Amino acid sequence: MKSGKGPKGRSSTADRGGIRKRGPTRIDRDGDLDMDGGAGRGRGKRGRDSGARAQAGGRPQVWDKTLNAIHEAITTNKDSQANIRQSKSGGNLEQLSVRGLKQSRAASHRDGGVESLLGFLERRLAADSKHGTRAKISKSRVEGDVFVVSVRPELVDKLLKLSGVQFAGVALTIEPYSQLDGMIDQPMPNGTTPSTADTKSKMTAILGRRYYQPTKLLNLSTLRNDPDLISMGIFGTASTESKFFPALMKVWDMNFNSSTTKQEAVESVSLADNQLATLTAVTTLAQTFPDLKNLDLSNNNFKDSQSLIGWRWKFRNLEFLDLTGNPISADPTFKDTMLKWYPKLRFLNNAEVRTAEEVAALKRTPIPNQPPYFQDDSQIAENFVKAFFAGYDNDRNSLLNGVYDSHSRFSLSVNPTAPRDQQTETAGWDAYIKKSRNLLKINYLPARMSRSCVGAERIRDMWKSLPSTRHPDIAAHPEEWLIECHPIPGLPDPSGQSETGVGGLLVMVHGKFEELNAGKVELRSFDRTFIIGPGGGVGGIRVISDILCLRAYGGHEAWALETQPIPQQAAHPAAPEGYGMPGPGKSDQQVQQEQLVMQISGKTKMTLQYSEMALSGNGWNVDAALKNFEELKAQGTLPPEAFLP
Amino acid sequence: MAASDDTLTKVSTDAATDFVKSFYPALQSNRPAIAAYYTQPTTTILFNGNAVADGNAVQDIFINQMPPTHYEVQSYDCQIINQAYPTPATAATPSAKSSKAAAKNMSILVIVSGFVRFGPSKDLPQRGFSETFVLVPNPANTAGKEWLIQSQNFRLVV
Repeated sequence: MKSGKGPKGRSSTADRGGIRKRGPTRIDRDGDLDMDGGAGRGRGKRGRDSGARAQAGGRPQVWDKTLNAIHEAITTNKDSQANIRQSKSGGNLEQLSVRGLKQSRAASHRDGGVESLLGFLERRLAADSKHGTRAKISKSRVEGDVFVVSVRPELVDKLLKLSGVQFAGVALTIEPYSQLDGMIDQPMPNGTTPSTADTKSKMTAILGRRYYQPTKLLNLSTLRNDPDLISMGIFGTASTESKFFPALMKVWDMNFNSSTTKQEAVESVSLADNQLATLTAVTTLAQTFPDLKNLDLSNNNFKDSQSLIGWRWKFRNLEFLDLTGNPISADPTFKDTMLKWYPKLRFLNNAEVRTAEEVAALKRTPIPNQPPYFQDDSQIAENFVKAFFAGYDNDRNSLLNGVYDSHSRFSLSVNPTAPRDQQTETAGWDAYIKKSRNLLKINYLPARMSRSCVGAERIRDMWKSLPSTRHPDIAAHPEEWLIECHPIPGLPDPSGQSETGVGGLLVMVHGKFEELNAGKVELRSFDRTFIIGPGGGVGGIRVISDILCLRAYGGHEAWALETQPIPQQAAHPAAPEGYGMPGPGKSDQQVQQEQLVMQISGKTKMTLQYSEMALSGNGWNVDAALKNFEELKAQGTLPPEAFLP
Repeated sequence: MAASDDTLTKVSTDAATDFVKSFYPALQSNRPAIAAYYTQPTTTILFNGNAVADGNAVQDIFINQMPPTHYEVQSYDCQIINQAYPTPATAATPSAKSSKAAAKNMSILVIVSGFVRFGPSKDLPQRGFSETFVLVPNPANTAGKEWLIQSQNFRLVV
């Protein structure tokens, strides 16, 4: 079991509080976030909304058009770029939103009152502070009618307390800034038909109201009773209804500029009480939140596993699933099916169905990980690898001139379907696929020949056409690399003197790199094997073979050393080396039994041999073995040699 | 006598293909045949960093310790390492029958990428692996194999 799994497992229990939460939660004043902020303003606009409602009710096709436009806007990915907001502030500054400036007298100033509001806030902050001049607002900007300020964390509380203070004739509202805030301030269209921007801003407001940042919960339960959705006419026709949810997911996506922040923002989604009988309407949830941990589908109408089949291979990290109040829960195979579908599932319908240990055991391998095998007496491979990846990132030409010659070979193969790390989106393979020599796909002999580069010049042409890369620094991030090496005989002798060939090194490297592709940073994993032999290159070596396999980013957890299943007790005085520890050729069962033997021996002071007898005679049950031991001891039937000296 | 580039490419890629298509199924369902895939002696065999002595030891591990295992090869590639690999039996072979026979005196580097499931259920996690082999000729054609594993390095990578 990995040590990190314990607390993670437990936290899913805590999340249950979150996923159960119903209705909007206003977060307290010293609290952190008020995701309800949007709702208040939504209500303020209701007067205008009702006009739109009448319109929408009468002309549902207009909504259709609007929802279509959202799809389109995002699929073309141009319009949406402009709306993607930077969520991170510089350094460790905290962002807060200040409302009221537009309504204040200062709004008529040439700069819209920004300067005087800033001065006002800073004076107020300094007034009751010992910080004096340090009470500064580090950054500010205007988003619609929200004034967003960035301050150092220690000033946040002070600034929040100023909420309600009078400034130029208005009471300012100061709240923690929400990522979704700015977008609800899109101007309403003057016309009577809802625009794409308008729908988008309404959806953003709805999402903002239903998102609880502290528990990372997106509560999409009871959507049909949502007054704002009703007023938008979403449930007017089957057509708008079917487009609404995908559009809502797209709007969510648009509020994040990286897949990592997007995926970190939500751990739990509730779709409870939505009368769902199939996944048709909500299937896009799996694309938006592939790494969801907690999913509440309670009180819907899913009747069998077939009705959920669309999510059979989705949500690979799901730990908690609630389908209470659905006919499927009565199915006798329900539990087994869900356990099969979701390998990390721990709670089903609020009951524990797997322990954290059981989940970890599923991932354990029959051959435990050992540290990298590295047999490289003269540090040739070590120096080569360090120089190679720095050179490949920064100066491929010099690298080629240095250690590649006219017989060196290079080829690359793409594994486009490799298992991947759940946290990242897979980057496309366009830049590589025409060069890939994956022999599973490339069957035609001329293509097999042309995709293999022999000689530094051919390799140079190939490398020039490949995207630039940035590999992590080996010394600074050793855990991200796995490098193994051992000698290999029978290599071609460049001098042609040795009939039996010469010796060299086989070097196998696994790791990741970043690639700058049209302004976007892509992350990939690679496996790269080299054969280096004696030669006329820098350091007296030459590269004989350089074979590269590229695949989707898969992290580096796979080769981390597995931690001991049970915290290691103080070494047993009589235990041979490696006893109770995983090792090559040792089954998990054996390791566990050895650990139990040491445990019994520690308690009874019996030798390992007798402890093992006590356990095996009692079906490896520790309690039974101890009880048995006490009985025998009381009877005085245990010989002196049963005990440790 | 030097074989042409297309012959060399064909020999090497066919060797890699035949090997991949036969070796992984054997790990899965023909474990008593595993040892026959290895030269005697081998150089280095590694599984997740564990050094394994030889083909017989690999076979023992698979027979006695591995649950039913499903491998899926998703990509592989190969390169010729040495076009004139010192094959001991070459001298004994009646003078090269053809350039094709001569072309078979090569050592080949193979890299494989795919996933593996340890256990009988299809619902167990798919673990990504990367595996590097060096194949060398088997002039004696033992067990009907033209190529044998001289070294092997298996690593789970996802």
